Amino acid sequence: MTVRVRFFAQFRERYGGDHRVEPAPGATVADVVRSVAGTGADEDSAIGPDGALRDYVILMRNGTRLEHDEAETTTVEDGDELAVFPPVAGG
Amino acid sequence: METELHVRVQEEDVAIDDLLRRARRSGVGGIVLFDGIVRDDDCEALELEAYEAAAVAELERVARDAGERHRLAFVAVVHRTGRLAVGENILVIVAAAGHRAEAFAACREILEAIKAGVPIWKKEYGPGGDRWVRGEHWPAEGA
Repeated sequence: MTVRVRFFAQFRERYGGDHRVEPAPGATVADVVRSVAGTGADEDSAIGPDGALRDYVILMRNGTRLEHDEAETTTVEDGDELAVFPPVAGG
Repeated sequence: METELHVRVQEEDVAIDDLLRRARRSGVGGIVLFDGIVRDDDCEALELEAYEAAAVAELERVARDAGERHRLAFVAVVHRTGRLAVGENILVIVAAAGHRAEAFAACREILEAIKAGVPIWKKEYGPGGDRWVRGEHWPAEGA
């Protein structure tokens, strides 16, 4: 099983923009993001030291937004594309 | 009336005259143009980054919703990406309706929806270095 994980803006600079990972069966969206981003103590990390997604982090799975509690319970499937980004600032 | 949409995320500049020409058509009495440009307050350039597939899908949804709600004949939304110098176009919205009230309302609604939810980010380059711009919907400090 292969899942693509993409980071944008400051997260792209920190973690790299595009990753292909091979999660274990049953892995959740949050597990996969944690496997790439690890944890960090500073406010600019996507994952806090406790392993929880920072409140402001936005997740998409195949173009659809996921709430954080959904990310902890939704298992990934082969071919999924996950996107991780900070609040938007276009316009 | 079905709204004609023109939605793009692109690096190249926006051909505003072409969009205004396309907006002029039978039944249209008001065309509102919004042109967001790079401002020069402590900023020499901006770098715009998009999650392009998701941004285009979201811009299309926003434009279609506004078109239906305000009975627009034509709506264009073009958001640029890449490095942009002071004074360059960032975002162009053209809303064409039978009457001005619908065109103004649609243009504003589209702009606010973009700022709230379309996955595009900007980085400012200035004399003091570079920094990612925190959008209007970034949570308040300490919240």
